[in-house]
Amino acid sequence: MQASSKQLYQYPLHLIFHPFDGYWEMKYERNQRNSLLIAFMILMLLVITKILHAQYSGFLINLSNPKYLNSLLEMLYVIIPVLFWCVANWSLTTLMDGEGKFSEIFMSTCFALVPLFLIHFPWIWLSLVISQQETAFYYFSNALAVVWTVYLLFVGNMTVHQYTPAKTVLTMLLTLVAMAFMAFLCLLFFSLVQQIVSFVVTIYQELVLRG
Amino acid sequence: MRRSTWNKRKSIIMGMICLLLFVQEAPYVNADGKTDAYHYSFWGDAVPSPAAYEATTIITGKKLNTTPMKEPSDMHVTANQHVFVLDSGNGRIIEMDRNFKLVRTIDSFEQEGKEDHFKNPQGLYVTEKGHLLVADSDNHRVVHLDEQGKLVKIVSEPKSDLLKADFQFKPMRIVMDKGERIYVMAEGVFDGFMEFSADGTFSSFIGANRVQVDPVEYLWKRFATREQRSQMVMFTPTEFTNLDMDEEGFIYATSGDRGKDPVKKLNAQGTDILRREGYQTPQGDLLYTQEAGPSRLIDVDVGDSDMYSVLDSSKGRIFTYNGDGYLLHIYGGIGNRLGQFNTPVALERAGDRMLVLDKALGEITVFQTTEYGRTLHEAVRSYYNGDEDQSSVLFAQAAEMNANLEYAYAGIGKALLRQKEYAESAKYFKRSMEPKGYSKAFLLYRKELMREHFSWMMSGIFLAVAAIVTVIIVRRQKRRTTNAGIK
Repeated sequence: MQASSKQLYQYPLHLIFHPFDGYWEMKYERNQRNSLLIAFMILMLLVITKILHAQYSGFLINLSNPKYLNSLLEMLYVIIPVLFWCVANWSLTTLMDGEGKFSEIFMSTCFALVPLFLIHFPWIWLSLVISQQETAFYYFSNALAVVWTVYLLFVGNMTVHQYTPAKTVLTMLLTLVAMAFMAFLCLLFFSLVQQIVSFVVTIYQELVLRG
Repeated sequence: MRRSTWNKRKSIIMGMICLLLFVQEAPYVNADGKTDAYHYSFWGDAVPSPAAYEATTIITGKKLNTTPMKEPSDMHVTANQHVFVLDSGNGRIIEMDRNFKLVRTIDSFEQEGKEDHFKNPQGLYVTEKGHLLVADSDNHRVVHLDEQGKLVKIVSEPKSDLLKADFQFKPMRIVMDKGERIYVMAEGVFDGFMEFSADGTFSSFIGANRVQVDPVEYLWKRFATREQRSQMVMFTPTEFTNLDMDEEGFIYATSGDRGKDPVKKLNAQGTDILRREGYQTPQGDLLYTQEAGPSRLIDVDVGDSDMYSVLDSSKGRIFTYNGDGYLLHIYGGIGNRLGQFNTPVALERAGDRMLVLDKALGEITVFQTTEYGRTLHEAVRSYYNGDEDQSSVLFAQAAEMNANLEYAYAGIGKALLRQKEYAESAKYFKRSMEPKGYSKAFLLYRKELMREHFSWMMSGIFLAVAAIVTVIIVRRQKRRTTNAGIK
């Protein structure tokens, strides 16, 4: 089935307002390839929002130094947490009788990010025409977006893995712990690799200077 | 064919990635080329700045036609710009007039008919009346002399329940307020400054620094055994390194370790009331290497209009802040050139000049303000005195000489705001990274804009809504007719 352009934006919008229906549809009824495509697009839009926010939003709410803006890093700040979440969630749910496949976890996570994008994107321009008192609205809607996203994540997790609500909450909390653990392992790995590299470089220098 | 376009595309993409990766800032070049003066921007970057002070002369004992100074440790300048230097190694006080000509030296005073001397005195304070207060450290006493050098009183070993039985009074720095109360910074005292009433009896401590606990160290301590713990460093509050008093009687104090707030302004109750509205809190250098460590502030001097300067002994730099806590300028340094020091210990302002006392070399470096420094000070002064028009003109001049002085742009913004140039004002406030001012100017600008364009904006919105409604009705109509046709 070819996804019509109308479907591309209608389905995610339907999902965020009717998450139980939407996620059920995603898991059992919809074309996986199309959903995956939409998921990637959502992620991309979020990356773009993040970069535009850092560069263009008004300075009343934007505390990042435009001189040190690095688009690649901004991209990683979005993608790495999502990826970590998905991997950690997948690793956990495999052990905890979850029914979700990795692709389903990834899609449900990405779909949950839609409110973040929807609410943040207009604020890039709105923030240019607000005063300091009105930044309260910005922070409020920001919080709203986060709460909404967390709720969607919860529903997504529950539907994808067919868990009870309590088990879903537990899984989500454990996922956070697993994410921290993964971050620690990654840092350890990189620092070890760095040490090995510097060791090899030292030996090489030693040999070159002897010879 | 396809392959070649792909290659072309690939090279373009690679080029773009390279551009993304290798965008680097150009190295800084200083405007006047002579000095290495710098400043900290809103973002905490070190940015070049013109020098606010330049060193003119060095005063030594030889220049004053007296014996060389030996480990001088403190200095004080009176309102008529007479300079008093405490020559600790020789146990004397040297007084100079405003042109650095020797007036007199005081190396002894008469006590009950006998001649008495100082023994390694560390602190000196001269009151408005010209009375001299000397922290006579190795004699464990504070000596109070009148303007003639005659003894008024001696404050020795205080007795109080607040003090331990084996407490040894070793005063290091000293100030006196208008009510003749004496505030003493004594060695080994962690409870703040010792306050003595006018008759010389100890009354209380004021302004103690709070204990700073390093969480990691705290964790280790929890796991350590009693024996191990006794070997570890105790959590003690940081000691003050110096103090000064402003015209209104507030004590400015510096502490050596970079605690939370190395500079404090204490009121009579000992509470810290220093304003920290600037881009960063007053703390000396923001950027430092791990080995060198943060600034160690060892002296503070309060000038007029709430401006104050602190002296950093580790880098030999002097940082001046205004009353709100904005950094104004940085100068000095450790080195061998004129305008650099070996071991700076004391800092005093004499009108337009700044004096820095060097302990190891036994000399005083005299700094004179440059045109930039004068303009900036004058701008801060007129703003402090409420003359905002004058100050904005001067701030504009200062900003012209130093485009990196973000603080000055706010001054211009304020003036523009009063001239009802809201858009321009908002622009200047934004450049100054001043959200409050920006917000104020922007709101007024927005209101003005709305008032001007309200009529056509409202009609536009009305027309748009009308158009949408029509389209919807027409479409519904159409659908109904087609549906009817199908039926």
